[in-house]
Amino acid sequence: MQTSNPDDQPLLRARGVKRRFRLGERTLEVLHGVDLELRPGERVALMGSSGAGKSTLIQILGLLDAPDEGEVYYGNVSAWKQPVDARARLRNRSIGFVFQFFHLIPELDAVENVLLPAMISDDQDVKSRRKELRERAVQMLRDFGLGERLDHRPAQLSGGEKQRVAIARALLLDPQLIIADEPTGNLDSTTGAKVLDLLLDEQKKRNLTLLLVTHDERVAARCSRIVHMRDGRVVT
Amino acid sequence: MYRTHLSWRWMRTRRTNVIGVIGIAVGVGALIMILSIMTGFLEQSKKTLRGGLSDLSIEPLFLPLKGGGKVPTDPASALDIVRADPRVSAACAQLVWYGILGQGGSDAAVSALRMSDSQGGKSLAGVKLIGIDFQDEILTTSLQEDLQRTPRMGVSRVADTSDPFAAPPNYKPSGRPLQAVVVGEQLARAWSLRRGDTIEIVTGVPDAETGDFRTQNRRYVVAGTFRSGENEMDLERIYLPRAELIDFLGTGRAYSQILIKSKDYEQHGRALQSDLTERLVASGVLRDLDSGEVRTWEDHRQSLLGAIKNERVLMGIMLSLVVLVAAFTIFAILSMLVTEKRRDIGILTALGATSGGVSQLFLLVAFWDALLGCLAGAVLGTLGAVYIDSIEQWLSRVFGIQIFDRGVYIFDHIPSVVNPLWVALIVLGAFLCTLLFALVPAVRAGRLHPLDALRHE
Repeated sequence: MQTSNPDDQPLLRARGVKRRFRLGERTLEVLHGVDLELRPGERVALMGSSGAGKSTLIQILGLLDAPDEGEVYYGNVSAWKQPVDARARLRNRSIGFVFQFFHLIPELDAVENVLLPAMISDDQDVKSRRKELRERAVQMLRDFGLGERLDHRPAQLSGGEKQRVAIARALLLDPQLIIADEPTGNLDSTTGAKVLDLLLDEQKKRNLTLLLVTHDERVAARCSRIVHMRDGRVVT
Repeated sequence: MYRTHLSWRWMRTRRTNVIGVIGIAVGVGALIMILSIMTGFLEQSKKTLRGGLSDLSIEPLFLPLKGGGKVPTDPASALDIVRADPRVSAACAQLVWYGILGQGGSDAAVSALRMSDSQGGKSLAGVKLIGIDFQDEILTTSLQEDLQRTPRMGVSRVADTSDPFAAPPNYKPSGRPLQAVVVGEQLARAWSLRRGDTIEIVTGVPDAETGDFRTQNRRYVVAGTFRSGENEMDLERIYLPRAELIDFLGTGRAYSQILIKSKDYEQHGRALQSDLTERLVASGVLRDLDSGEVRTWEDHRQSLLGAIKNERVLMGIMLSLVVLVAAFTIFAILSMLVTEKRRDIGILTALGATSGGVSQLFLLVAFWDALLGCLAGAVLGTLGAVYIDSIEQWLSRVFGIQIFDRGVYIFDHIPSVVNPLWVALIVLGAFLCTLLFALVPAVRAGRLHPLDALRHE
């Protein structure tokens, strides 16, 4: 099991994050001031029952949804105080998402789906490396056992293959943080195990920070730290 | 990069976009084709409306001049002033009078019978006698072409179009040779006049001394016909030498109007009108500046030309609706695409796309639709307008019906004028209109919350 160095500067810090939703006349507070730190290279499992606020928290940490109160720091930068475009750049370069339902673009083939973050990026550095990144995308897919599926579209891929494409996409631009929302939740146990092995291997190889949402104790057991949530609060 | 790549991919893979492209192509094509045909019809109608009218005409009222004295009844001084202007290409004098046509020959009783028979229709004909100086006339008007135009069945054109008032060949007068005249083709057909036939013209003229009306009649021999294509002219005009008409009428008046052909009517027409009016009034040929005696051909046809212009504006408005419908199709297609692609919008946003980038992505889909649709429409519309005659004939053959009845019009083909500027404006208008309509769903796509979008399964 991988361990983190407590002296490291946190990669991500959440401080007093609250999130409320209006349900008609009623306001429902889903997160009640969550504090969380993720350190570089750390592998964290986020667990909790349905409705505990896991998804809402990772959406806020992933800069997809704004907190009503509190701060999310990437390094020393308060992410939600950044302009919209700067947050989009942060998502593009610093965060890789792996979703439960894969979320691939159906009209693009496997290589194009992996390349999507590079195609979206406005960074000159990325633009100048597009050819190299394409080769990298192809190599990653080959390494992930998809060498015969490069020009296949998502509809022509199995669930496990789709998720491997999604992992390659998340890793393409070497983000510091991977947020994986139940990445094996939509796969059978054998395929799920293989996909999880791949994800954890890559995380270890690249020394990435991984925040993994899961209900599965066995999956959580492979992480360096487990964060439990209950009723919108971090309990451990 | 992803915007161009993905929009083109969506463009190629979504069938609804093909409908959009076809919609725009049909709209633009139809607009170009119909407008070209309409412009063709309008141009032809304009030509027809103008008929034998010269660029400008001077029609003196022959009223006493304000400062005393009379307006000269001879055209020489007016012609000198007109021809001195460098913008004038040619000018001619005409003497115009009205008469009644009766068929002559030896049997005067037949003629009288015909004239009294109102049921017959063609027994009695009011005619316009045009006295011309042939050499001046052909330089100024289209008479030469009218004489040379192939006549229709049952009539015969003049034997020598360079000397139409020469006695017809094989003309054997029983007494004194009659003056040869040229009659309108329609008139000749209605009266079954052939070359060498004799006609009798009856008219009334004021007596030069007493002012009382008296009748005059004179016989002429038909030299042949002319065909201007303008019904009114071909039905009522008889051309004869101006000197002959002066002599026949005996009123002392040598001309009724002066026709002017300018070197460039579009450029100089109006300026020439006002300059000539000033000069003619100053030299005592016309009475005053505001009498409207110098007129352009458009002044003669003011009301009809106004109607044509109105028609063009109305057609433009109506046909613009076709483009609006096509653009609205894109609005509908793009709105559907935004709904269909909500999840993809969420994915793109999660991967770092900005809301502006997402909007541009959808706008680019509309851009491809508009580009392909407009180009296809421009090509189809232009080809359709150019080959409309062949298309009409093919359709008529296939369906066994006559779509364009050539007998109804004076032209024997469907007129069509493709104006490149119009084509460019239609394409540009449709293109911008489509993008404008696409802006609403595109902005809506950009504003979608990524989570709402990602939840969309």
